Amino acid sequence: MNWRIISTLVAKDFSLFFRKKFFAIVTVIGLVFYIVIYFVMPGTVNENLEIGLFAPVTLPAFEEIQEEGLVVQTVDSVDALKEGVIEGKYVAGVSLPADIMEKLSSRQKPTVSLYFTPDVPQEMKDTIALIIREMAFLQTGQPLNIEVTEETLGPDVSGTPIPPRDRLRPLLAIIILAVEMMGLANLLSEEVERGTIHALLVTPMSIKELFIAKGITGTGLAFGQAVLFMLLVRGFGEGPLIILLALLLGAVLFTGVAFLISSVSKDFMSVLAWSIPSFILLLVPSFSILFPGAITNWIKILPSYYLVDTVHRVANFGSGWGDIWLNLLILLGYCLVITWTGIFVLRRRVQ
Amino acid sequence: MARDAIVAEELTYRYGELTAVDHISFNVAESEILGFLGPNGAGKTTTFKMLTGQLKPKGGQASLLGMDIARNLEKVQGEIGVCFETTNLYEQMSALENLNLFASLFGIRSFDGNALLERVGLGGRGKDRVETYSKGMKQRLMVARAILNKPRLLFLDEPTAGLDPTSSEKIRNIILEERERGATVFLTTHDMLEADKLSDRVAFMNQGKIVALDTPHQLKQQHGKRALKAKVAGDNGALEDREINLDTPETPEAVRKLFSQEKVITIHSEEATLEDIFISLTGRGLV
Repeated sequence: MNWRIISTLVAKDFSLFFRKKFFAIVTVIGLVFYIVIYFVMPGTVNENLEIGLFAPVTLPAFEEIQEEGLVVQTVDSVDALKEGVIEGKYVAGVSLPADIMEKLSSRQKPTVSLYFTPDVPQEMKDTIALIIREMAFLQTGQPLNIEVTEETLGPDVSGTPIPPRDRLRPLLAIIILAVEMMGLANLLSEEVERGTIHALLVTPMSIKELFIAKGITGTGLAFGQAVLFMLLVRGFGEGPLIILLALLLGAVLFTGVAFLISSVSKDFMSVLAWSIPSFILLLVPSFSILFPGAITNWIKILPSYYLVDTVHRVANFGSGWGDIWLNLLILLGYCLVITWTGIFVLRRRVQ
Repeated sequence: MARDAIVAEELTYRYGELTAVDHISFNVAESEILGFLGPNGAGKTTTFKMLTGQLKPKGGQASLLGMDIARNLEKVQGEIGVCFETTNLYEQMSALENLNLFASLFGIRSFDGNALLERVGLGGRGKDRVETYSKGMKQRLMVARAILNKPRLLFLDEPTAGLDPTSSEKIRNIILEERERGATVFLTTHDMLEADKLSDRVAFMNQGKIVALDTPHQLKQQHGKRALKAKVAGDNGALEDREINLDTPETPEAVRKLFSQEKVITIHSEEATLEDIFISLTGRGLV
C-alpha cells in the first residue's frame, strides 16, 4: 500500500470537489441551513392540553383534571370561548349548560357543547369528549367501576419528551451524508466518463489504492460534516463515542452507495436520477423518529435505520454500548456488503 | 544489438464472442519507433490497452523492458508514459496542477513543470485551467504528461488525430526527441503519412491480426508498385495519362517508345504509399 499515492489522490479529490461550485455551495450553505433549521425548531415540548371553558357554575372536578396536565382557562361567555378556539388559544372549547348540576343530580342528561377548529383530528375530539364524560362521572360521585393498570412496552420515555429539534437531528445528519454521497458519485462518474481514471491507472498505482483514496475522500467529506453538524447542534451530549462510530459507519455506508450510483451514472443528471430515489429510501427511517408509529417495521431492512436509530437512542435517551451494539454490528455488516458491491461493480465499469 | 523493449507473444483479447486481438506476436527493439497501423476496429487500441495494463489479456503474454506485465504491472507502469487518444485531463485544474499531480503519482520529487510546458509549446499558460485550452493545446499537454517521468517506453494512441498542422508537427518533433533520448515508442495511428515519417518499422493490423510488419521501405519494396506516370498530348490536343511499370523487363523499351512516339507534357515516378500497401494486403482502406 503506497500512502503517498493515496494521499495525493485524496488531496486532488478534495480540491476538485470544492472547485465544483454546485457541491461546494450545497455543502457550505447546506450545513449552515441545517443548523439554522435545527435551532428554529422548538427546543421544548408543551405537554399541556389547553382547553377553554365557559361554565356558569363551578365544577370541582375540573380542578382535579388540571393536575393531570390539562390546563383549563375559563371565559365569561360562549362567544369569548368560540373566539379563543378560533384564535388557537385552546385546543377545544367546552360550554357547560347553566343547569348542569341539577340535571346531573336528577340523573338527566345535560348537553355539553364542544368547539373545535376544523384542523383538529378526530382522535383529539374523541379524547376531549372522553375527558368531559370522565368529569361528569367525577362530579356526580360515580367513578367508573373499573381499575386501570399501566404497562409500558419498550423503553419508558414518558418522562423524557423529545423536543422537535432533537427528533429532527438524525434526519439532518442523514441529509448531510446523502448530499456528500451525491458529490462523491458525481466526482467518480466524471472520472470514469472523462477517462481521467484510465490516466491514473497507467501510473504505478494499484486499483486498490485508487478505491481506498476514493473511499477516504467520500467518507472524510461526509463524516467531517456530520461531526461538525452534531457538534454545533450539541448532539454529542450523550455517548459521544457511540455517535462518532455510528456516523463513521454511516459515512462509509453512503460512500458505498456512491460507488454503486457512479457505476451506473454517466453524467450529473444520471447521478441525480439515481441519487434521489436512494436518498429518499435511506431517509425514510428518520421519519419514524419524527412521526413515531407512522411507519411499520419494514424500515428495519433499510441500512440507514440502524444509523438513525442509534443516533436517536443515544443522543435523545442516553442509550449505551450495551443497548446499541447490535445496531452497530448490523450497520457494519451493511457497510461491508454495500461498499464491497459498489467497488465490485465500479471496478467492472472502469476495467 | 538492441534488446527488445516490448515482446508480445500470442496476445489475444475477446469482447464476448468478438475476438478483437487474435494471437498476435511482435517485438519492438529499444529506441525503436513502431507504428501500429490499422483502420478503426482493427484491434490497435485493444493491443495498446493490454500493453499498458488497462486490459488483462485473455490469452498469450507480453513483457515490457524484460518484465512480464501480468506479474509486474506497477513496476512496469513506473517506466512507461501513456498518451491517450481522447483527452482525459483534469479540466478544472491548471496545466501545472495536472502535471504536478502525475509527477507526484510517479514519485518525482524535483519536477519542473514550467520547463516541460515550455518544451511542448505551452509556456506561459501553465496556470490557466485546462478547460480554457484548445484541442491542440490539450493534446500537447497530454504528451507532456506522458513524458514527465522520462519513460523508457512511450505509448501514444493517435497523438495527432484531428490536430492543426502546427500542433501535429510539434508533437512529431517531441516523439523524435524522445526516441533520441533513448525511449522506445509504440505509436498507434491510422495516419499513414505520419507513420511513414516517424516509424522505424510499421505493423499493419487488420481484424485482430498483424498482416505485415517491417520497415516502411521494405514494405514498399515488397508490396508496392513502382511506376512512371506521364501526361501526353493526344491527337485532338487533350491530355492523356500513360503509366509504365518500372519493375518489368519491358520497362526500357516502354520508356523509349513513350518519348519517341508521343509528346510528353509531364512525367514523374510514383512510389506506393503505406495506404496502397495496406489496401493491397487487406482489400480495405485505413479509415
